[in-house]
Amino acid sequence: MSFISNLHSGKFIITAEISSPKGTDISRMNRDADLLKGIADAVNITDNQRAVMRMSPLAACGIIQGKGIETIMHITCRDRNRLALQSDLLGASAIGIRNVLVMSGDHPVKGDHEGAKPVYDVDSVQLLGILKKLNNGFDFAGNELAGMTDLCAGAVTNTELNETGFIKFKKKIQMGATFFQTQAVFDIKSFSGFMEKVNGIRSKNVKIIAGIIPLRSQRSAEFLNMVPGIKVPEIMVRKIKVSKDPEAKGMEIAARIIREIRPLCDGVHIMPVGNHDNTKTILEMAGLI
Amino acid sequence: MIISRQKEFDEILQLLTQKNIFVIGCGKCAKKQHTGGEPEVLDLKEKLKNAGKNITGWTVLSSACSIISWEDVLAQNPEIKKSDALLIMSCGGGVSVISRYAGMRVYPALDTESLGGVCCNEIVKELCGMCGDCTIWQYGGICPVTQCSKSLLNGPCGGAVEGKCEVDERLCAWDQIFERLKQLGKLEDLEMIQGPKDHTKKFRGKKV
Repeated sequence: MSFISNLHSGKFIITAEISSPKGTDISRMNRDADLLKGIADAVNITDNQRAVMRMSPLAACGIIQGKGIETIMHITCRDRNRLALQSDLLGASAIGIRNVLVMSGDHPVKGDHEGAKPVYDVDSVQLLGILKKLNNGFDFAGNELAGMTDLCAGAVTNTELNETGFIKFKKKIQMGATFFQTQAVFDIKSFSGFMEKVNGIRSKNVKIIAGIIPLRSQRSAEFLNMVPGIKVPEIMVRKIKVSKDPEAKGMEIAARIIREIRPLCDGVHIMPVGNHDNTKTILEMAGLI
Repeated sequence: MIISRQKEFDEILQLLTQKNIFVIGCGKCAKKQHTGGEPEVLDLKEKLKNAGKNITGWTVLSSACSIISWEDVLAQNPEIKKSDALLIMSCGGGVSVISRYAGMRVYPALDTESLGGVCCNEIVKELCGMCGDCTIWQYGGICPVTQCSKSLLNGPCGGAVEGKCEVDERLCAWDQIFERLKQLGKLEDLEMIQGPKDHTKKFRGKKV
């Protein structure tokens, strides 16, 4: 079944994130994809994440789809104007990509090409609107397309939203986002508060897929605490610190988080730091597969 | 006010391959920011002299971007004719106007940053993005085109940490927009979905 059918069937969704390579060697990306085959409902391919230049997600999705794995192509507003974004979306649809995840994108100064021009010709809300038009057979300018796109629109969200963040979340739904993938969840109470807030405004057709980052070490936990939208509770950092096998402890914590949030949301999105060697085990520990 | 900053002296020196230099300051924005008024012109003149340049003369125009005519500037400053190049301590607007008429090499001594303002001696940068399509009232008078590092028109990006923008130490523009609209009792303005900007209103190429 396709990702979108699974999404609407009520199945608890599993997605996982892979970075495209920094270069043309696709062996590590392919290895990760193979590890996820038959486990994940779809595999996300990032778009120059953290503003670090990597292989185009359009090309990477094409390669991974060739293995019979469905993808969710990330598309940021940072590097392309409205023409380039639309061409990539047409291309994505034409090569069989069925899902895209729309986001603003980290600012170029955060990455490895600090002097790059930040484009942001459109923002994520506007890009969702453009996508809706393409799916209806028209471009942003109103010109008719020879063949419409067939793309399921997703968006991202932090789980601690202030008032303006929440308004933007609502706008994304209004503009056609059918699923949200969240920043990594560590604090169940806070996530539960987020779900309560969004349940008040979302229809059943808007799905929430919670982000999961398995901790690997005290350093990785401390690093994550500096990432916007992520808060690793002090007690969790301590547990990792005192553990003889921090990686195993991190897997145990990730599996527990998945079990606890399962009744609250529609799926989980696994975003390991590094490769997917442990993803299958974590999902087994969580009772998902 | 146009916000500018002085280039590093070494960079200026590298630009100036000519020997006989005339220095022009600006009595408007650059003077107020202390980047191109009389004290800065005199200071740069001294440094250039010490670096072996022959400074043929100097002046501070009342406004470098708005001159009566080049003939008028020449009449007031005959030393310009004995010079190989002009060094302008003004924003890009002033440098452009002078370059247009001077008929000789014109160098900028400043880098132009943004359109800002000054109040109570505080210089505020990047107030207006000069998008050619002003809708600032919808954001409580805080322009997201330039105050938000990503020019987002529909809300924040999620990259702020403890209220600070992911790009620098500045506060997230969207928190400020929220507070201002709250004060004004206009929070409903935030709910409006804003379409992308029409860039023909800013750049050349607008269909006539």
